[in-house]
Amino acid sequence: MKFKKDSIGYTIVFTFIVCMLFVVILAAANQLTLPMAEANKSFAAHLAVLKAFGLADASMSRTEVESLYSTKVRELDNAPGDIKGVTAAYAADIDGSAFVAVKVTGAGLWGSITAILATDPAASRIRGLEILDQQETPGLGGRIGEDWFQAQFKGEKVGPGGTVKVDQNGTGKGDPDKENGRVDAVTGASRTSDFVARIVADGLSATAKIGGSL
Amino acid sequence: MSDTRKIVKDGLWSNNPIFVQVLGICSTLAVTNNMKNTLIMALGVTFATAMGSVTLSAMKDLIPRKVRMIVQVLVLSFYVIIIDIILRAYMPAASKQLGPYVGLIITNCILMGRAEAFAAANKPWPSFVDGIANGLGYGAVLLCISVIREFFGFGSLMGVKLVGDAFTPWTIMVMAPSAFFLVALALWGANTYNAKAAAKKKGAK
Repeated sequence: MKFKKDSIGYTIVFTFIVCMLFVVILAAANQLTLPMAEANKSFAAHLAVLKAFGLADASMSRTEVESLYSTKVRELDNAPGDIKGVTAAYAADIDGSAFVAVKVTGAGLWGSITAILATDPAASRIRGLEILDQQETPGLGGRIGEDWFQAQFKGEKVGPGGTVKVDQNGTGKGDPDKENGRVDAVTGASRTSDFVARIVADGLSATAKIGGSL
Repeated sequence: MSDTRKIVKDGLWSNNPIFVQVLGICSTLAVTNNMKNTLIMALGVTFATAMGSVTLSAMKDLIPRKVRMIVQVLVLSFYVIIIDIILRAYMPAASKQLGPYVGLIITNCILMGRAEAFAAANKPWPSFVDGIANGLGYGAVLLCISVIREFFGFGSLMGVKLVGDAFTPWTIMVMAPSAFFLVALALWGANTYNAKAAAKKKGAK
């Protein structure tokens, strides 16, 4: 029997079956790979926390990172919900002194920027900053993800007013002075640099609060 | 020339999606500022076009005309989401870097263009070859552009730094406008060449 391909009934049934079929396959594929995708995501976050604490670098294997994370880092469940953008808090003891870190999210130029900021409990000196997620302009604002930019924050003394100045009058190549409370901004990315400064300031007020109640 | 060879040649050169059909230009602007992203994008488009064309060609006799395009979009987006799922699970770094661009493969006009222009009227195997050839033709042009943009914009290729610190990167090369210029120049060059070749052929007769 030759069915009527253009009849309304056939069209509806056909569309319905085709949709169901593809959606079911997609849902199954998504469910099957979900644990791996989640693991990748949490691994990226764990590595960023360790790097912010100065405990790991990118050359470490996945198992090393995970075991180091589980032995060294404590996830604090009292992340201050009242501080804007802070979604998680961590603590670690390194060579006998305590450090705290927060995962802090703020607006960027195109999307939001998420960073891990680690400091001493008084939030007077930054331990490290890791940009976890950003969608800034590649080659311009996107350079905040590069090592030279993030390394500037390592050990940087927090300036007056509890902030670190992301200075647009610098060389744009990185500021080696750890005592002046300023870092070089990315050349050609003044907006992104402002956003990073704001995220760091938010993070600092959060770590000060958490550090005080540690 | 056999059919398969003609399809391949069409996709790669004489009916190249970028030079002749002028399809998929949007992604050319977005992903060509570094080679790695370009390569993954090109593979993604090739995979989605080829698989989508095969699937659509195999079921073309069953698709009612009225919902033809809806079904095409459904099948193509199915493969695009599959790519996204695979990248997220097995290549997290690439997935993070490409971000929203993977999902945007579906808006690449080459996919719909080939489904509508070729797969809707041909058998699965030629449709598959056509998808691969068009994807590769698109990818080849994109790669050429990304080599130029990454080298001048970052001073690197495939993320490997090639020039010293004294080199000042051309900021324009990482921004979208440079892709406009380069695509236009490439289009101009290719079409001039083709026109000359055609004239020569005519003259020889």
